[in-house]
Amino acid sequence: MVGESQTAGQGDEAAAQHPLLRALAGRFGARVLGTHAWRGDVSAVIEAGALLEVARFLRDGGEAGFDMLLDVTAVDYLGRAPRFEVVYHLVATTSGARIRLKVPLDGAEPALPSLVSVWPGANWLERETFDMYGIRFEAHPDLRRIYLYDEFEGHPLRKDYPKQKRQPLIGPGSRAESGSTR
Amino acid sequence: MAARVTQVDREAVRRSTGALGVAATLRGLRVTSRHFIRNLWGWMVGKPQVRTVMVPEEEDPKPAAFRGMPVLVALDSGKERCVACGLCEWACPVDCIHIEPGETVDEVERYPRVFDIDMGRCMYCGLCEEACPEEAIVMSARVDISAFSRAGLLWHKDQLLTPASQLARRLAYIREDYGRR
Amino acid sequence: MNRKVIEAGRDVLDLPSDALELKLGPSHPATHGTVRILLQLDGERIRKAEVEVGYLHRGFEKECESGQYYQVFPYTDRLNYVSPMINNVGYALACEKLFDLKTPERCQFLRVIASEASRIADHLTCLGACSLELGAFTAFLYAVEARESAWDILDAMCGARVTTNYVRIGGLSHDTDPSFPELARHKLADVARLQKDFEDLLLGNPIFRERMEGTGMLPAPELIALGVTGPVLRAAGVPYDLRRLAPYLVYDRLDFDVPVGGAGDNMDRFLVRTEEIRQSARMIEQCLARLPGGPVDIDDPLIRLPGKGKVFGRMEELIGQFKVVTEGPKPPPGEVYFAVEGGTGELGFYLVSDGTGKPVKCRARSPSFSNTQALSRMVEGSLLADVIPTFDMINMIGGECDR
Repeated sequence: MVGESQTAGQGDEAAAQHPLLRALAGRFGARVLGTHAWRGDVSAVIEAGALLEVARFLRDGGEAGFDMLLDVTAVDYLGRAPRFEVVYHLVATTSGARIRLKVPLDGAEPALPSLVSVWPGANWLERETFDMYGIRFEAHPDLRRIYLYDEFEGHPLRKDYPKQKRQPLIGPGSRAESGSTR
Repeated sequence: MAARVTQVDREAVRRSTGALGVAATLRGLRVTSRHFIRNLWGWMVGKPQVRTVMVPEEEDPKPAAFRGMPVLVALDSGKERCVACGLCEWACPVDCIHIEPGETVDEVERYPRVFDIDMGRCMYCGLCEEACPEEAIVMSARVDISAFSRAGLLWHKDQLLTPASQLARRLAYIREDYGRR
Repeated sequence: MNRKVIEAGRDVLDLPSDALELKLGPSHPATHGTVRILLQLDGERIRKAEVEVGYLHRGFEKECESGQYYQVFPYTDRLNYVSPMINNVGYALACEKLFDLKTPERCQFLRVIASEASRIADHLTCLGACSLELGAFTAFLYAVEARESAWDILDAMCGARVTTNYVRIGGLSHDTDPSFPELARHKLADVARLQKDFEDLLLGNPIFRERMEGTGMLPAPELIALGVTGPVLRAAGVPYDLRRLAPYLVYDRLDFDVPVGGAGDNMDRFLVRTEEIRQSARMIEQCLARLPGGPVDIDDPLIRLPGKGKVFGRMEELIGQFKVVTEGPKPPPGEVYFAVEGGTGELGFYLVSDGTGKPVKCRARSPSFSNTQALSRMVEGSLLADVIPTFDMINMIGGECDR
């Protein structure tokens, strides 16, 4: 994995020392695929199947109490397998402790469980990730595009989506609607 | 030296309303009357206190660091300083600069045969000026780019060339930073 | 009228009624910002509110991924366009975390001044627009005049009020003038004078209080679960302020208060912001008093462009200039997340690098986006008129929310 192997060596020793990452690795065993700490940021790479359990553990189980989900996004490492990585940033509002969760996903039909049941704030963030990367969040209450319109073709933040690509015009005044040749 | 957490004072707001809001109304009248009299007096003695500037009849004061549209610096001979190295084209985040280099018999050997800036795309960020190793492209104080068509927003070399004397203020400003690093 | 007629009348009027659907926006005079709120009304009461964003989506991340690290700065201006300097600073600090740099003292102080002046402008815009949309036009003019003074501070630093593009990786684009501290103090006095008038005019006003008090409330745990940060969360009594919790730049050396509210209604949000303006002014004054001399840029020709004086005369610096512009500074491979306290909440940047000059991923965690998400929960069950002050106090900035 690019993200992991790149930071390997620099971050692994620090990660082994970190109590939270140790607790995660101890509790979830092989379902935590890797941990690293780099530049003061603590990350854990976990399996998609373990995501909900890990999220609940981080919110309720541990000492830190990560009560806020700050951000959900994805990274497209085109040309490597697994292609996508969904990234979550959590913070504990009382202590200011932070952790990053990463879930590697295959490129064909990327899907993983939704975290709306754990943090309701995940709703729009997951919709945005779906909009931009086409990653499906299972059991999401309302998985629609959020920034772009429904007729938009493709997912623009994927690396194989050309920056200059044009989209067909829709709505009143478009060629399909009015029949004119603009 | 630290941050303290304090509580906002809602009680003071409640008190300041007064019975039936009379105190708040009177205070509001005092504030607006003071502003009115101050502005009226300023207008009467010819020293307006309001910040409105009657553009374009009046000149809008601009700070020394102001960035208007990028222009090309012309030498005294009327030729450009630019040697068509293309660094500004590289640095431009929105790709609004288009350069086609040509060769010349002058000592600089290269010159821009075509130098176009699409003012419809330019966002006046000034990265071209920072990248330029020749002090050839600088941000002028001009902002009047309006045109009747998109083609009118494409500025060519002859339109962009500006005598250095007209850019003296900006050149002096960027030269201040030359020795700093 | 006899009893029978009245009863018959009631029968006629007591029709089964569907909810009235009202589309507020995307361009509505009472909502600053391009957003659409689909409301289902039962009389004056809101049954359901659905917020639609995305009208200002410009592909911030795609643009950033296609350019060098230093080319992102002009785009960050356009995220939260009422406090652009904070975005500049946030992105620069994220890059510096990735590159592992430490900027000189003077640069850090100037960055704090820039951030706090921007915060003043941000809050004044929010409060002024709120008063305007509740009908207090004069108060709006005072707030905007005060904002003009705050922008004059930024103007003197970088030459622009909105499209600042001032901060660079490892420094600032220019140092300030020797006359800057005096000008900044003078402008802060202007802000304080107008802010007092603004508050005198507005705060005690019974109409204003009726509209603000007890509206738009959500309990703090729910706000936290929804990811709400900034003055909205602090108004509910949670002292989550990154300047206090995880001080960056020189905030740990400054003396300031973090105002929090109790009830978490719109009045508290308003009061938290007015107090934060005063605290920001206090911080700027401390920074001006202690502003050290020295350089504003790090001395590393591979990251910060060498001075033009050297570029004109020396070959090595000229080559350095070409390398930095065409290839850009190259960070080590890895990923970082860095957050600053923006005008509306936690503004974070998540950068992923593969060792080349272009970011693989440049993500802005925008506070407006998460805050706007909470709007529907805040207004459901309340009256239609409460949507306006609640939306104003959330302070959704389209450019930041939609990126």
